[in-house]
This record gives sequence, C-alpha cells and structure tokens, in this order.
Amino acid sequence: MKNRIQLSLFLLPGLLLYVALFVFPTLTGLFYSFTDWDGVSPSYAFVGMDNYKDSLSSIVFRKAFGNNVEFMLTVVIAQTFISLVLALLLVRNTKTRVVLRALYFLPAILSSVSVGLIWAFMYDPSIGLINYGLNEAGMGSMAHNWIGDPKIAIYSIAAVQVWAHAGQMMIVFIAGLQGIPAELYEAARMDGGSKWQVFRTVTWPLLAPSATIVVAYTTIQSFKAFDLIFTMTDGGPNYATEILTTYIYHTAFGSYSFGLASAGSMIFLVLLALLTLLQFKALRADRVSY
Amino acid sequence: MKKNKKLILPLVSMLVLSILLSACGGGDNASSGENGSSGSGKVTISFMHWRGEDSEALNNTIDAFEKENPNIHVEMQTLPSDQYQSTVQSKISDGSTGDVFASFPGAQFEAFTKAGLFTDLTGSSFLSAYNPKLIEAGQHDGKQYAIPYQLVYNDPIYNVKLFEKYGLTPPTDWQGFLALCQTLKDNGIIPIAFAGADIGPGQFMNTMVMNNAPSDDIFTKVEAGEAKLTDEFWVKTLTQIKELNDKGYFQQDALGTKDPAAGALFIQEKAAMLASGSYQLAQNKQQNPNLEQKLLAPITVSADQAKYEGVHTTTFMLAVNSKSKHPEEAKKFLEFLSKPDVAGEYANQTGQNVTVNDVKYDTPELQVAGEWANKKTVFQPRFTILNGDNQKAVTNSIQAVLSGTSPEEAAQQAQAIIDQHIGK
Repeated sequence: MKNRIQLSLFLLPGLLLYVALFVFPTLTGLFYSFTDWDGVSPSYAFVGMDNYKDSLSSIVFRKAFGNNVEFMLTVVIAQTFISLVLALLLVRNTKTRVVLRALYFLPAILSSVSVGLIWAFMYDPSIGLINYGLNEAGMGSMAHNWIGDPKIAIYSIAAVQVWAHAGQMMIVFIAGLQGIPAELYEAARMDGGSKWQVFRTVTWPLLAPSATIVVAYTTIQSFKAFDLIFTMTDGGPNYATEILTTYIYHTAFGSYSFGLASAGSMIFLVLLALLTLLQFKALRADRVSY
Repeated sequence: MKKNKKLILPLVSMLVLSILLSACGGGDNASSGENGSSGSGKVTISFMHWRGEDSEALNNTIDAFEKENPNIHVEMQTLPSDQYQSTVQSKISDGSTGDVFASFPGAQFEAFTKAGLFTDLTGSSFLSAYNPKLIEAGQHDGKQYAIPYQLVYNDPIYNVKLFEKYGLTPPTDWQGFLALCQTLKDNGIIPIAFAGADIGPGQFMNTMVMNNAPSDDIFTKVEAGEAKLTDEFWVKTLTQIKELNDKGYFQQDALGTKDPAAGALFIQEKAAMLASGSYQLAQNKQQNPNLEQKLLAPITVSADQAKYEGVHTTTFMLAVNSKSKHPEEAKKFLEFLSKPDVAGEYANQTGQNVTVNDVKYDTPELQVAGEWANKKTVFQPRFTILNGDNQKAVTNSIQAVLSGTSPEEAAQQAQAIIDQHIGK
C-alpha cells in the first residue's frame, strides 16, 4: 500500500503536466470546434457540426490532406531506406565510423526553423547554392526551381526532412543491428549464403522491431510536420505544399476563424490517432523472435 | 469500492490542477491591479508591438517621454511579427499588458474591433496632427479606434541611374511599361526583381489591379459576393502578370525567389525594378550606398484611363487597450508620439515614413516617399480583403498563373475558395 502511494506521488507531476498540456487544451479545442469563435471576441455562438462539415468540404483542407499524405509517404519510404543503408554502412568497425555517425546525426540537433531558412536559401533558383553547384559541376540541366515549382516543391521539402532526420533513425537501426547475435551470421555464411541472402533471411527479419520504431516515428513526425514547410514555403506556391498543420495555422491566425481551425485540429488529431493505431497493428505482426 | 479507490488519484490530480490554474489566474489579476503603479505614485504602462528593428529609436522616444512625464514609465515589449499575429490577442485581452499596442490593418483590426479591444479615440486633440486621409484605416463605423503610424507606398522601386543610362522614364500606360521592360531586357538587365515565393504577389498585385478596377472597394464587393475574381478586372490583372512573366520581364524562376534574394538582385543592380515598396528604400541604400532610387507604378491601362498613380498603406496602427488600467497615461504617450518632431526622430532613425503632418525627413529615401504624398494613391487593395484565407486565395492565383495555369482557370479556382468562405 505504501509502495502504491509512493508510486502515485511519483506519477502525479507527470499526470498533472499531461492534463495541463494535452488533455485540457484538447478538451478546450473540442469545445471551440462547435462554436464560431474568432479567437478574440469575448462572445461566440454554438454552430453544432458546421465547422466539421465546412472543413471536410473545404477545397484547401482537401488539398492539404492530399499533400500531407504525399509528404508522409515520401518521407517514410526515403527516410527508412536511407537510414537503413547508412546504418548498414556504419555498423562495421571502421576508423571513420564515429566521425561519420556524428556527421550524419548532426542535422537532428539543429532547430527545424533554422534548417528551413537555410535550405530555402540554398534552393533559391537565382542565388542558391544547389543550382550554383550543379551549374559549376557541368550539370546545369539538373538545376531546377526547387521550391517554386508546384510539381516538385513538396518533394524538395521532403528531401530536407529526410536529410534532417535520417541520421537519427540510423542510430535506431544501428542499435538494432548490434543486437543481432554474431553466431547467426556465422551460421548463415557457413551455409553458403550470399550477402543479399544473409540480409534477407537474418538481418531484415531481426531488424523488425527497429523498423517498427523507425516507420512509426517517421510516419507521425512527417504527418505532423509544420516548421519546415512554414519557413520554406508557407504552404505555397499556390497551395502546393499546404498541409493540415499549416492550413490550421492560417485558418486560426490568418482569418481569425478559431472555431473552424479547432474543428480542423480535431479531425487532424483523429487522423493521427488512427494512423498510429494502424501502424502498430500492422507492424506488430512482423515481429520475429529467436 | 475498489473502483472508487482507482478514481481517487485522477480526481485529486484534477483538483490540484484546478487549484493551480485558478491560482495562476488569480495571480494575474492580482498583479495587474498593482502592476501599473508603484509606491512612489509612478505609473507603468506597457507598450506592445512587433517592430523589434525599431527598438533603439523607440527607446530614445520613450526616454524623452519619461523626461517630460516623470510620473509615467513605459515598458516596451516586442514580439516577432508572426508570433505577434498569433499571440497578441491573448496577451492584451485582460488589460494586464499592452496599454498601448499595435495592430495590423485588415483582418486583425476587424477582429479586434469586433472584440472591443480598442479604446475609442474619436475627438482626441492629437488626431489633428495626422493627415486625416491616412488614418482612415484605423476607423470603424466613423470612430477612430487606432492610429496608423507608418506610411508605406507599395509601388515598385526603380534604379534611377540605370533608367537614365537607357534613357527611360516612368511610363504612363501599359504599352509604355512593356516597352520599358523590353529595353531593359535587351540590355541584359532584369526588368523586375520579383519575390514570387513570398511577398511578391501580395505587393505587386496592388499597383497591377488599382487601375484595372479603379475603385477602393472592389475586394469588399468580392467578399460580399457582389463581384467575382472571374470578372474582367482580375482576369485582366492575371493576364498582364502572366504576360510580364512569359516575356521574361521577371527574373528566371521568379516563383522560387524569396524577398532577400529578389532584393539582392536589385541591390547588386542586376535588376532595374524591385516589386516591393518604400519600406525597402533605406535597407537597399544601406547595402549599396551608390543606389539612387525612386518609386513608380506600372500603369496597366491607357494614360487617359488611369485613375491612380500608386498605392499606399498605413500600418503599425497604435491603439489604447480598452481594458487598460491607465488609459489617460496611455493616451498621453500616443499624444507624445504624435508630435511632428518626435515622429520625425522616429522616421529618420528607422527609415520609415509616418502619417504625422509637417515631419522633416532627413534622408533622400524618406524624401522620395514623401514626394508621393501629393500623388493620387489608393489604400492597398490587398488589405481591403478582410479574410486571411481569401487574401491567400487571391495572391495564390498569381502564383498559379506564374506556374502555367491560364488566368481564367486561376481566377476560377480562387473564386471557388472565396465562394466557400462566403457561404459560411
């Protein structure tokens, strides 16, 4: 009984913070999502489900949702692949591995606002480093209007997101790789397995827990992206990079429609919860034990 | 019973939390009661705004004010403009901060007016210090709620020496503007540096539309459903912007260029015009002291059809918080800011023109904009669009045509978004 009380006391600060920083704002948001509150006025009227209907039928909301999915899929596929490749290359005992690991991890510690501002400058078609470098290297045909072309802008930002977080996910994969017993590799090699066969039958199945973490984390992280897009394109050009978080921000602080923005936030919250649930259900099935 | 026990912890937590929250709330109110004054009878007023770059100049103003009014202390609080946009209402709503605060014209001013956050300044003697036409943006239903302090001309800037070199003068009609751009292009100069990725569309649309829809309330009509973006005035504006882009009068890939990069093209004299506004004159000069700059507006119609010569905006709208505990002291501060010599000091130190009459500007850049006071200008059309989402739809239609969409289709897409907002 004493233990229980002690445990409860330990939990209390965390619980209080959780209620204050998540439960309370969420419930407040839910409340305002049924009103026409403009975020400033002391008064508001209840509008029932109107904000939800308006959000779901909004052209911009739908476009933002489509962009969200596109951005998320691109980041999840590219980031999982790149971080896995980096982990496989840097798990070996080479002299440079510590330096290289640190270098690849470095972008993860930078503020995403700074990353966004710097990359937006590098992507500039006239004075940016990327097009300049391509031209100098004789690859001028590859120079592009990276964040100004609506067809590729979202992928250009996705590339920055991957650059910023692949190193972080590489560490997760390295930890997973280091947990695979060496004798399994020895046995596979003695059986005459090629490198690809060893990877397919030993490494990949046993990396499933790490992959679960990487995919789940990357999915959630990319679905609720905001800082990079806000600083690099603010949703433009012509809504090409507008995602749900920037849509909610613009609705709340651009047009003072807090009720509508709250409904958008609630829909976003439900989508994110569903996505997380599906992720864990789908990936749990892949777990392998030995 | 067991179930009840399980409920104890969350219930206790909620109770503690609610006590904590109410304590926080009570603390705020309690402190705000005392906040404004100290034992010595000195009153402290808070001045909240977003112009961190003006802090030094405003600190000098505050020092001078405090010398003249030893019983009032002004505490200045600045926030970055993005943050200001999103947090100011919660900060000033209980009157504990922002006795004097700034607001943006358009959507924010409308929302604050509706919420009753402004003190009615109608009839205040210091209003006579201002050009009456230039403080209209701070009025609602005939009452003066805020005083727009800064004056900006949202007309493109041009490089006087480059114009002289090629024998060019500001054109008076659309054909003249196209010919001017072509001459510059033929001589290897970018005619217009255009920040298509951020501020460009929002700035350039103003002068482009001012004569295509020679009325100061065309976008008010659009938001009221009485006019449409698919009408001739906007399709024509988009068509002309597309024409400038297709003929290569903007720098290449203008849609990917942000404000600093477009500014750099002008400052380095690679571009002859910069589609921004007078607010950028001082900064350009600072970075290239050899620059000689003036303002011009593209005239999109024939000379005899042109009603307006340019566009002006009055912003940095100063107001007294309706919940202020010290409204008289706050008004005194506004009165001080309204003195021509004080406003002049602010203008000359910050490089921004002001709406106060009889101000003496020291620099050629401020005088350039000052010359425009006698021209026929219209209040920035973009700021007459009161809904932020509608504003975005309008400026995005410019980005759409620059990326290849036809003007008719771009106008239609933007109108569809506005129709949704009108329907709400």
